[in-house]
This record gives sequence, structure tokens and C-alpha cells, in this order.
Amino acid sequence: MIFDSIRVLLQGWAEQELLPQMFTYGFVVNAFMAGLIIGPLLGGLGTLVVVKRFAFFSEAVGHAAMTGVAIGILVGEPYTGPYGSLFGFCLLFGVLLNYLRNRTGLASDTLIGVFLSISLALGGSLLLLLSGRINIHILENVLFGSVLTVNAQDLMVLSVIGLLTAGLALFHYNHLILSSFNAQLAAVRKVRTILMDYLFVMLVTLVTVAAVKVIGAILVGALLVIPAATARILAHSMRGFFWLSILIAIVSTLAGILLPIQFALPVPSGAAIILVAGSVFILSALARGFGPALKGTTA
Amino acid sequence: MMGPTIDLQQVALTLGQTRILYDIDLHVPAGSIHALIGPNGAGKSSLIKTLMGQMPHRGSLTLTWPDKPGVIGYVPQALEFDRTLPMTVDDFMGVMTQRRPAFFGLSSRNTGAIDDALVRVGMQDKRKRRMGALSGGERQRIMLAQALIPAPALLVLDEPMAALDEAGVAVFEDLLAYWREQKVTVLWVEHDLDAVRRLADRVTGLNHRVIFDGPPAEMLSAGQLLTLFSAHPRQREASGETSGAATLSRAAA
Repeated sequence: MIFDSIRVLLQGWAEQELLPQMFTYGFVVNAFMAGLIIGPLLGGLGTLVVVKRFAFFSEAVGHAAMTGVAIGILVGEPYTGPYGSLFGFCLLFGVLLNYLRNRTGLASDTLIGVFLSISLALGGSLLLLLSGRINIHILENVLFGSVLTVNAQDLMVLSVIGLLTAGLALFHYNHLILSSFNAQLAAVRKVRTILMDYLFVMLVTLVTVAAVKVIGAILVGALLVIPAATARILAHSMRGFFWLSILIAIVSTLAGILLPIQFALPVPSGAAIILVAGSVFILSALARGFGPALKGTTA
Repeated sequence: MMGPTIDLQQVALTLGQTRILYDIDLHVPAGSIHALIGPNGAGKSSLIKTLMGQMPHRGSLTLTWPDKPGVIGYVPQALEFDRTLPMTVDDFMGVMTQRRPAFFGLSSRNTGAIDDALVRVGMQDKRKRRMGALSGGERQRIMLAQALIPAPALLVLDEPMAALDEAGVAVFEDLLAYWREQKVTVLWVEHDLDAVRRLADRVTGLNHRVIFDGPPAEMLSAGQLLTLFSAHPRQREASGETSGAATLSRAAA
């Protein structure tokens, strides 16, 4: 497989001291490749999450992943990659939520609050059931991410989902934004608002599932929001917004994966990634507060 | 391209338990500027949504195009967007008019049309400004500019003058003259009765039903306007309307 070839190549370079010593370990190279796929994916899609004000929704889908994992293990999927149940439950969660939002007229945050509570209650109950069957500490990897468990199959899943998501998101990028501005304006421009909403729910679900291995179910939603929120603080145009978000997501992901290994820190990869991204956000917010040039033109 | 003729026959709209529009008959000739006036809550925006196929209505609604169906343009009252978004005027025009993602910049195919549209509304010098940093009137000019691309044959304007300053009003009047010259059919919801009197070919007074319809010079008399903006339109009382409908009218007013 292509990822095995790349891993062997990078390990060879590390042995020749062309790369840092830690790249001699296969799992580090796997995690590094996963980060290179996840970073731009989450950073790019995150700009849409921020524009469409779907941050709370993305967090909720991430948390639903925990329940999806619990269901997967319960029905006999491997605990290292319960992709079927993970994808199925997250998609059901997102689609049902969006359907009820359209049908009931309830505010999004109210509906998300209800769904999130139900999903967490279900997930918590199932995890307790599972605690008698498997070592519950294994689940920590799924909840908070672990670079140790990323294998070639995960990389393949990531690549396929990455290509599909990026293709769909780029093709519909403007329409996804327009549909959130004004329904009539979208309609006369032949943009199907409801379809775009469902498409977006599906995209968020797909990247959540793809990123669970590295970032963890609890924290995956955060990486959809923090880089884009940081870029929004710093950027003056959509171009800057998009590319800065991707850059911050890549740097956070790679730093969060590699720094704990380099310095032998007992921190889960997901937590490390979010801590790096969060630090960049805080620094940016402070810089914006103190640097008038970053405040943007208001006149 | 010449705009379509619009014909509404016995169009009625009910949302939940609330009757919004009662048996609307309306004829808008091709290439005319037709104003729609009425009090707040009279159903003007609902009529526009119905025209755009966004509402489950009863009755017949027909657009008769002179040739093949043309482009429909729309200028909304307001946009629901975060004012702090780093979206420039150029970015916004890109989002509105092209498939290529806005962060890649304007596509070369659209650049000329966007340049022309921004010049026409006097916003060519502000294209690098963030949308959120524009004044309400400037943002309204951008709304008018986006409606020029692609060139529309039917244009629906929902209170386009609401936020415009004096210079903006002049820009809007120039645009109306341009659309008239191009024989674009314009359906124009407006509160400024003086502007309607000066600029529209016909005017319809709407308060859940058509109260009057005809040339502005004849229709915009004190008596007609009193009837239109009254909480108890005389025509309705004269026709023996039920007390439920009168209550609805009061609530809407």
C-alpha cells in the first residue's frame, strides 16, 4: 500500500538522520501522515462552520461520536476502529437534528442542547455496560485520541473521506455560504438551501469520523472551530481567512502529535492538538486586542 | 432581454391558522416597473416569497416569458450574516456570482461584469472593504450590484431604498431608468410613496388583499392611502367581512 511505502521511505530518511530520530518509529510516521490529511480538512471545513454559525453543531456531532464508538463496540466492531457505528450514529444524529430544526422551527442551539444531552446520556450508559466487557482504559484512546493506534487502514479511510469531503466542500463552497445568508436570494440563484444544509451536516459528520482516531471523539469538534475562529480574528478577506485557518490547523495538528512524543509528555494527542490550537487562538485574540492593525478597517 | 408578464389569479396563502393573502389578482405587464405598497405585515414579503415559489399557495401564478425563461434577480431587505466576518465586497460578489470558491479570488470570466456593476452603484473604490465595515446604505448598493449579475429579465426588489442616503437614492433611480430602458420587469416593494409616485408605472396597494391597483398618479390619493393604511379598510367592512378577518387586519397593522 502507498502509505506503507511512504512510511518505509520516511523511516529510512530518519535512520540516515535526514529527519528527527522519532520518525524511525512507524506509528509516529503514521500519525504524522494522518495529521497532514486531517489538518487541512478540518481547517478548511472549519471556515464554513464559522460562517454558517454551526460551531455548537460541530461540537455536538463530535460528542455524538463517543456514543457511536460505544454502540460499535457493543455490536461487535473492533474497538480500534468501529467506523460503521461511528459513521451511522453521527450521521443519524446530524440528519435528525437538521430535519427537526426545519420541521419544528425551534432555535438551533435549543435543539442541539436536547440532542447532545440525550446522546451523552446514551453514550455514558453504554460505556458503563461495556466496562464489564473490555478494559475501559482502551476507550480513553477513542475519547481523547491516540497516535499509537493509527494504522494503514485508518490512513486509507482518512484519504478517501478527505478526498470526498474536500471535493464536495470546494465544489459547493460558495453555495454553502450563500444558503446561510438569505433563503430567497439563494433560491433565485438556484441554490437549494435545504439540500445544502444536509450536505453540510454530512460533511461535518464525515470529517468527525475521520478525525476521531487522532483527535478523539470528545475534542474533534474543537479543531473544526478553533483554527477558523483564530483565522477570523486575524484575516481581512476570505482568502486570508481560509488559508490561515488551514495553516493553523496543520501546525496545531502536527505540533500536537509530535511534541508529546519528542518531549515524552504523557498527554493524549487530541488534547495536545487542542491545547496548541487554543494557545494560538488566545495569542491571536490578545494580538488583536493590542495591535490596532489587526482590528481591520472600520471606516 | 425583455422581462416576463406576471399574472396572479385568486392567489391565497395561509400559514398555520393565519390567512396571509386573500384572493390576490395581479397583472404586471412585461417590461414595466410595478410598485407594491402597504402597511407592515400586509403580506408584501409573503407575496414575493410566493412569486419565487417559496410558499405553498392556492390559485394560479404565471410568468409568461417573451422567449425562453430568463434570469430572475432579487434584492433582499437584509442579509443574515456575521458583521465581523472577513468578507470583502469582492469576496461577497464572488460568493454571489461564481462557482469558484471565494477564497481563490474572482474568476476571470466574472471580473468584467463585477467591475461594471460596482461602478454602476458607485462602490468600485470600496471593493476591498469588509462587508461588515460598510454603512447600511453602502451594503444596500452592493445588494443592488449583485442583482445586476447575470443581467436579469425579472427583478424583485424588497424595499431597496430603506437604508440608502441621498447619493444612494440617485444611484437607485439611475438603475431603475436603466432597467426600464432594458425592458426588465421590476416588481418593487417600497415604503417611500413619493418615490413610487415618481418612478413606478403602476402601483398595487396590498393589505392582505388588493386594495387598489393602477397608475400611481391616480391611485396615490389621500382617500386611497387612508383606506390602505387603515386598520379597518372600508372596502372590507363594506363587503361584510367577518369579524375574524377584521381582527387579523388589526393584528397585521
